Amino acid sequence: MLDVFLTVIRRDLLLAYRRRADLMNPILLYVIVATLFPLGISPDAEFLGKLAPGLVWVTTLLAALISMESIFRQDFEDGSIEQLFLNSHPFSVLILGKVVAHWLITAGPMLLIVPLMAMLLHMPVQAVPVLWITILLGTPILSLVGAIGAALTAGFRGGGVLLGLLVLPLYVPVLIFASSAVSAAADGLAVSGQLAMLGAGLILALLLAPLAISASLKISMG
Amino acid sequence: MPTQAPRLLEAHDLKCIRGGKELFSGLGFSIVSGETLVVKGSNGSGKTSLLRIICGFNQPAAGRVTWCSESIHGHENYRQQVSYVGHQSGVKPDLTVMENLVFMQRLAGENSQEPEIRDVVRAAGLFGQRNMMTGKLSAGQKRRLALAKLQLQQKDVWVLDEPLTALDKEFIASFEQVLKAHLENRGILVVTTHRELKIPEHRVKRINLS
Repeated sequence: MLDVFLTVIRRDLLLAYRRRADLMNPILLYVIVATLFPLGISPDAEFLGKLAPGLVWVTTLLAALISMESIFRQDFEDGSIEQLFLNSHPFSVLILGKVVAHWLITAGPMLLIVPLMAMLLHMPVQAVPVLWITILLGTPILSLVGAIGAALTAGFRGGGVLLGLLVLPLYVPVLIFASSAVSAAADGLAVSGQLAMLGAGLILALLLAPLAISASLKISMG
Repeated sequence: MPTQAPRLLEAHDLKCIRGGKELFSGLGFSIVSGETLVVKGSNGSGKTSLLRIICGFNQPAAGRVTWCSESIHGHENYRQQVSYVGHQSGVKPDLTVMENLVFMQRLAGENSQEPEIRDVVRAAGLFGQRNMMTGKLSAGQKRRLALAKLQLQQKDVWVLDEPLTALDKEFIASFEQVLKAHLENRGILVVTTHRELKIPEHRVKRINLS
């Protein structure tokens, strides 16, 4: 089963590489926010440093949401979702492979660029490692939860708006705990509570989301 | 290869509703290894819906499909014994012909060797295009690739929705030989087509949904 799971990841990474222009979207969003926000609000370092945790996380959340719409769209258009369904291995495991590939494609560039963005927004240095850890723990939750909404709306034209309405309320706890951890780190306070909550959320999402995603895809296929 | 023990695919009192309209009701059939079910009907009569119900993609409004007397939704092995070729080819446009077949095989948990895959690609008349992106193939070539998968995976039940669309006469003739071989190996074939297939007539059952 591990072989098939890894094959799904390899195939989706290869497909993403062949359409690598799409990989630039989250990075572009980050760069645009990091460069335009100080110009539009204030270049004051202390002010920007206070806003930075929330700003980085709202950008992360929007970047994740934008990329979610495409996770199953191509599979529905070319009929390969049905081929995945007619497989001897559990559908939920194969779908988890797709979500992991999607996370690597979207969160990988984010993890690389986030320290740079933090510096551009004058985030205190001691908060940057915590920001990186929150991205590492939080973005898989965004991918897993977002994939449930993407699976439900995969059969609709213009399902992007519906996806946002379905998924954004579920993203809010991640936003609260993650930005709170980064703010606390910037103020020199303990962050273990918030990180523990993100870790617990990730475990819960890993256990339950694949089942919900595969059930949603079956509904959309019908 | 299809299994040698006789297999039984049955449907009981199937009812299908699409967009508030009843497409069919009280539909039933029973086919065993080596038999073909040909589904005919006008456009929109529910042929594709019936095939998707047989594959387990869609749920009927009433009735059930059974495999060896057990509902397909509760049957552990049914999904792995079905090959489906629908209106979409099920191939990835951003992968080459070879990559598509290699990934299909690996996802099916089968370790087909490259020479075996090359033979199937050659038989499908796509050897010259084996390293070409599938998105650049013609509709007929994509169809050939989708059908080539059937020969590689050799599952018990082949469910084919208008498999001859966009194919030329030469390939249709060779594909009919593939279908005959599948039936001789005690496979089951469920097919919708507007053309007559040259397969052993005495083992063909027909449903007309018009």
